[in-house]
Amino acid sequence: MPLQLNLLHEQFAEQRQRKRDPLKLTMYVGIGIAALFILNYLWTGYRVLEIKSRLAQVEHDWAKLEPKVTAAQKRAEELNATIGTTKALDGMIDARFYWAPLLQTVARCVTPNIQLTTLEGTADQEAKGVVIVLEGMAAGSEPRAVAEDFRQMLLEQVGKEQPALKVEFKTLDDLDTSVPVGGNNAGMAHFTLGVEFNPFPTPTPTPAERKPRARKEE
Amino acid sequence: MNKEQTKKIILGAFCLIGLLYVYFTFFIGPLHKSEAAINAKIEDLQGKIASSKSEIAKAARLEENAHAATDHYEALRKLTPEGAPIAWFPPKIKTFLAEQHIDKATARLDSTTPSKEKELANWSRYTWSIDLPQADFVTLGKAIAALENSEPLLSIKKLTIRASAESPQLQQVTLTLSTLIDIK
Repeated sequence: MPLQLNLLHEQFAEQRQRKRDPLKLTMYVGIGIAALFILNYLWTGYRVLEIKSRLAQVEHDWAKLEPKVTAAQKRAEELNATIGTTKALDGMIDARFYWAPLLQTVARCVTPNIQLTTLEGTADQEAKGVVIVLEGMAAGSEPRAVAEDFRQMLLEQVGKEQPALKVEFKTLDDLDTSVPVGGNNAGMAHFTLGVEFNPFPTPTPTPAERKPRARKEE
Repeated sequence: MNKEQTKKIILGAFCLIGLLYVYFTFFIGPLHKSEAAINAKIEDLQGKIASSKSEIAKAARLEENAHAATDHYEALRKLTPEGAPIAWFPPKIKTFLAEQHIDKATARLDSTTPSKEKELANWSRYTWSIDLPQADFVTLGKAIAALENSEPLLSIKKLTIRASAESPQLQQVTLTLSTLIDIK
């Protein structure tokens, strides 16, 4: 076997040593990672730019829509207020007490031997309702009975419209004077009648919020 | 691996860590943050746009449905003429009663109170006293019926009818009226 002499052994070893230089290797790795990072940075930057352009588009859409929305909200508020006001007004209109039909009914109940001298009525939704005081004279052989007939008539006629009706005598006094009724002298009685009823709808109470029950601790 | 090489590797590792730190803190980090912020803004705006569209549609539906209410409201508002009520209400009621054959009516303002209902913040309640020294009962009844039918915002709170001592066929009447008036 021939003897082989490597005269460049030292040079080769040095070259090999240089190739394996860890710093160099680390730098190569570092440069590789840096290149990857730069690529990643550029890709992310591109994405951000894309998103920014999307944002600009969305902002443009919103800028176009915003005045319309504000106007719509304002209009909706106005409409709701109008509806609320109309409802409240309608409620009041519907809850009014009409006096004309009542006057007509009272007039129908007045017979020739009854004379009303005063009618005083109040309609108060927040208080008793409708309160009427009728003052007058009844004439007849039994003037108190005539006054009672008038009371019954009122009770019947007004009661058709107003179920919870009260018609009560406040005073009923015989008078000494007499008047001619149908050719005969008739005795007279002075009466004061109180009429009460509530034609107004009772307000429905708003249900109170339930308080959560405290749990009994055992 | 000799000592020199170990040192170099450690130095290289430090450089790499520094590079990573700089990269994530000063380059990619702010970019990601801005991306997240923009995305959040886009989501927020898209949410607003979606809710706005539904709100516009709702307002349009409301507009359609509220047509009757707005017309009715305008009709009720038109019942209130321009100007101070004290200036126009007494002549109006006098003319009305004269048309109903009731003369010598006098009207005066008793009180003015703002409406209690919050929906009627722009409306005030005016209370008037109307004196009718000479009124026939039947004519009065017809006049009251006409008044109640033609003036929906008016209600009679008190009514007093007394037999007149001077002429038995006529009555002395006092009406207390309450009107809701739009304060324009």
